[in-house]
Amino acid sequence: MKLIRQHLLLILVAALCCGCGGSSDDGGETKKKGLIGYSAMSLTNPFFKIIADSITEEARLNGFDVAVNDANSDGKLQAEHIDSYIVQGAQAIILNPCDRLSVGPAIQKANKAGIPVFTCDLQCVAEGVKITGHIGTDNFQGGQLAGKAMIELLGETGGKVLILHFKQANSCVLRVDGFMKEINAHNKGRTEGRIEIAAELDGAGAKDQGFQSTSAALQAHPDLAAIFAINDPSALGAYTALEQAKKVGQVKIIGFDGELAGKQAIKDGKFFADPIQFPVKMGKTSVQNIIKYLNGEEFEEKVLIPTYLYRKADADKDPELK
Amino acid sequence: MKLASRFGTLFVLLLLCLFFSLATLNDQHPTDEGAARVLARRIARECPGTPNVLIVVRPGEDDLRYATALEEELERSSGANILGKITGIPSAVRKRLEELGAAGTKLDVIATHHFSAQGVLAGDQFKVLTASQPSLGSAKVIIPPSVRWPVFLKMSNLMDILNMISVIAIIAIGMTMVIITTGIDLSVGSLIAFSGVIVAGAARELGSGPESGIFLLLGCALLGIVGCGLLGSFSGVMVTAFGIHPFIVTLSIMSIARGLSYIIADGPSDVVIEAESYRFLGAGRSLLGIPNSVILMILLYLSAHLLMTRTVLGRHIYAVGGNREAAHLSGVPVKRVLIIVYTICGALAGLGGVVNSSLYGAGSAKSGVGYELQIIAAVVVGGTSLAGGSGKIMGTLVGALILGVIANGMNLTGVTTYPQMVVFGLLILVAVLIDQLKNRKTGTASS
Repeated sequence: MKLIRQHLLLILVAALCCGCGGSSDDGGETKKKGLIGYSAMSLTNPFFKIIADSITEEARLNGFDVAVNDANSDGKLQAEHIDSYIVQGAQAIILNPCDRLSVGPAIQKANKAGIPVFTCDLQCVAEGVKITGHIGTDNFQGGQLAGKAMIELLGETGGKVLILHFKQANSCVLRVDGFMKEINAHNKGRTEGRIEIAAELDGAGAKDQGFQSTSAALQAHPDLAAIFAINDPSALGAYTALEQAKKVGQVKIIGFDGELAGKQAIKDGKFFADPIQFPVKMGKTSVQNIIKYLNGEEFEEKVLIPTYLYRKADADKDPELK
Repeated sequence: MKLASRFGTLFVLLLLCLFFSLATLNDQHPTDEGAARVLARRIARECPGTPNVLIVVRPGEDDLRYATALEEELERSSGANILGKITGIPSAVRKRLEELGAAGTKLDVIATHHFSAQGVLAGDQFKVLTASQPSLGSAKVIIPPSVRWPVFLKMSNLMDILNMISVIAIIAIGMTMVIITTGIDLSVGSLIAFSGVIVAGAARELGSGPESGIFLLLGCALLGIVGCGLLGSFSGVMVTAFGIHPFIVTLSIMSIARGLSYIIADGPSDVVIEAESYRFLGAGRSLLGIPNSVILMILLYLSAHLLMTRTVLGRHIYAVGGNREAAHLSGVPVKRVLIIVYTICGALAGLGGVVNSSLYGAGSAKSGVGYELQIIAAVVVGGTSLAGGSGKIMGTLVGALILGVIANGMNLTGVTTYPQMVVFGLLILVAVLIDQLKNRKTGTASS
């Protein structure tokens, strides 16, 4: 019996070793400048994967070690990551905060330990925490670009619009606010050709929920003219719903993000346009700001990178796309 | 046989600890008060006379303690002339150094620690700075020597692990009892949220914001625990009176409690508990810096261990799980025992929700998603058989510790999330496999 137990144990330990072996550092005992920890919101979302890769590249280039962890949208996991960075004596921490509730006390611990915390893309709105720097997208401006694109799309005839929202994320709230500002300005004093918001449904920022919500909206509003989705995954879900309902020609989609699948959809004519973000720039600037901070140099504490409206003409020229 | 199985899991735990200790052996850079005093005496020894010393640390309470200890010891045991104590961000350090340079003050020693010796005080950066400020040119940056020690075995890390598992381990007590009776309770994750939003909602409605009294908060907490206990009793009644399988009953309670939580909290946003004193249980620390939630966990385990080994109820729980028919015929009140067990499990889930909301200072309808599976995993890894009738409360604690140690160890060694999921899956499989082999060998498999 004991024997079996120990054999099984060996398997377990072996499994662990395999897991560890893959990601151990390359052992170069050059004078390292310390560790930067990055807890990503979700590495299954290509947007954050690009941020993670560019952080890693930029940090290694400057002599830092990097620990990248995937919080899988779970605030508790992210809190555990922050704990582990503190214990490992990291020089700085970069986060896409998942959840205001669970991440607050964890950031307080980092503050107590004197480790600077930088947020990236998503902001932390928890009270009583010190965030040293933030780099994100100017989401309000991005929403305005989407709104202008919508007006261009529907023009003088107007029509019914579905918004696929994700209210839990502050960034998405700003996108819709910017969008609504343009739409309201367009509708002001107009009786003909108004752009009506037929429904504002939760797309959860994900394909499956975007699909379900759009299908429901198409049942309730067969005369829907366009959709604004707050990110590309939910926009792609919406497109699938259009295919199922055979309404591809009738309903136009505007997405957000400009991840590869989204850009491809623009090239293929599935989406009209996307305000795009610049994740590589976000990752690199985060690391550069950390270096500036540690060197005691000045840096911009809050950087909002404006989006760019990416259209079919851009996609046709884009060498990344098929 | 049972002895062997108990020490088996303990053995796995120790081996894991050993493994992660070796895997995380690394240079540690001390920033505690003891290291500060040693550093101060070293400065006194190496720099006789009255050297001009600047103390530099990062912002934050921990570093402030280090700097204060350094300053006190320097004043006591050396003739050093302390120019100042900077507990600031690196740009403040740079500014101060430039001021000193501009004033032509001669700087002999910068006393700091490893982390603040990076960046602005690191070789290349510091050279650039001193090139333009000649009076700083001869300054030496002195830090405590590093020591080789496993990150895993740092006291703060071990406390992190205990703190991390406390909620799961507390609820796993009730789950162990349920599983010993051949039952299962899938509702515990939702009950964490249910209890959290009840406490937070009650504190908001009945309390007086940040000044809410301690008894009122205790009352609110009790309300959360009783609410969950009642839902647990309800599960027990459905299982016993109507003979519905506990999997189905608790699956529906899982959905009901989650839904009610969202209704009470009016959506996914947090219901904040403003009274700071409420955070005592979840975020506070008592003797030796042990988190209060961990102390609570240990007390609960001791009581549950006594309950299961020394009381009639404990014997009845094992009897019901071993052979329900035989237990019934020998006079065990089977139905009553089952209802009590589900009530305890529900109430402990409620207590887990209280600890959770106390840690974060808010209740949230989103919390505790997926916890039921982690809790069941802790029980199974701890050696309790899903076939019922056997299992040890203390085994469950070891099971929860194994899960916590692996999660922590993999974070420290940089194993990413996806391999972590694979390892957890394997771990549960291995634990159940051991359980199966044990049953086959002793021929006690009952189902």
